[in-house]
Amino acid sequence: MKYAFFAGCLIPAREPHYENSVQKIAPELGIELVRMEGANCCAPFSIQSLDYTSWLALAARNLSIAEEMGLNIVTLCNDCYESLLMTNTVLKEDKKTRDKVNKILADVGLEFKGKTDVKIFSDVLYEDVGLEKVKNAVKRPFNGLRVAVQPGCHLSKPKRLHSIQWMGGTALDELVEATGVKSIPYERKEACCGGPLRGVNDEVALHVAKQKLDSIKSADVGCIVTVCPFCYLELDMGQIELKRRTKEEYNLPVLNFAELLRLAMGMDLEDWEVRAHRIPITKILGMVEAK
Amino acid sequence: MHEVANTPRGRGVLACIQCGRCTSSCPVARVVEEHNPRKLMEMIILGLRSDVLSGRLPWYCLSCFTCLDRCPQGGDVGEAMFAIRNLTVREGNIPDGILAQAKSLFENGRVVTAGRMALAQRVKHGLGNEPTVDVEAVQKILKRTHFDKLISKGK
Repeated sequence: MKYAFFAGCLIPAREPHYENSVQKIAPELGIELVRMEGANCCAPFSIQSLDYTSWLALAARNLSIAEEMGLNIVTLCNDCYESLLMTNTVLKEDKKTRDKVNKILADVGLEFKGKTDVKIFSDVLYEDVGLEKVKNAVKRPFNGLRVAVQPGCHLSKPKRLHSIQWMGGTALDELVEATGVKSIPYERKEACCGGPLRGVNDEVALHVAKQKLDSIKSADVGCIVTVCPFCYLELDMGQIELKRRTKEEYNLPVLNFAELLRLAMGMDLEDWEVRAHRIPITKILGMVEAK
Repeated sequence: MHEVANTPRGRGVLACIQCGRCTSSCPVARVVEEHNPRKLMEMIILGLRSDVLSGRLPWYCLSCFTCLDRCPQGGDVGEAMFAIRNLTVREGNIPDGILAQAKSLFENGRVVTAGRMALAQRVKHGLGNEPTVDVEAVQKILKRTHFDKLISKGK
């Protein structure tokens, strides 16, 4: 299974530990990730808010690069996923818009042909690798650790774009529970983390995050597991900010699912990766069963 | 209303029946009284152009798309928010955080770039440098779409 690997902006710059866990587990699961040299920003919320055509052209440029590589594209980020998937859908369905975008892409020697599929890493694990194979790769499962799964909005909204119903369904819980943890239902599970409003309206972003964290706290879990780098930042750093401002402490470690799976597959996190988490995750590290 | 409805992401406003399901499902409406997607749709339908475009209202939206999945009319309110913001920025109403990302995009081809420490960490632990970006191609595209002129309107 070979994919054009779209790393995005945020993960390489701010969350290399997340990328590293993916790089560690991918070969063990038969996944080959080929770097997309030359690719640009996916054009997320901020850029889409500015200009429609710029968004489509930038996202289409990335899609065209993957097409030239002859590979489907995989991203680790919910926002990259939304931008690329939506652009791919619009341009495949709407010839007029495709022609318009292709005129722009011709300037940079590319053409969107509609020959690549856009996936997020969870799609690859669930659909291409398959749940059974993921389960079989788990060598030292967590022994029923209670976790709150945070899917992140753009994993499956808007619904019409997605073949796997990650929200309102059990797919993500099945995938996370393959590591031996127990996904505990909680209020506002499908609600936004607040992250998209960072830099636009920090007050509101934190307020939305607080509502989510309050719900998770009352679910009595050991940690939060997310697949989205924005949710990760918002819920991890958000706790630090809330502590500073309101003295309220949550002490909820936030792990990316790739980290959880890596641990369960028998691979330890390195010191620098453990230290990257603002809310300490050390208590979680010791909760895998002995090899 | 047609100024919004005539844009690719704004068509949904034509379907709005003011039922309020968007507001009832909006996570921001729960914490900010001023934010009310249904009301914003109403203002658009009534043609209250300057109230819609000059204020903060379209910038409260998280684009979580909950309203989009819940609208009984297929009205795509969350999509229309992008259409409104696209019109808003043409009036020079661009929040600082958005402008900073736009400038970084034009200069670096990405909205966030790794600092010296993150780069050192990447290289030390075998992840290599950030993936390269063809900034020249990005700028060519953004000049052609007049994105550079658009962001020069911001503060």
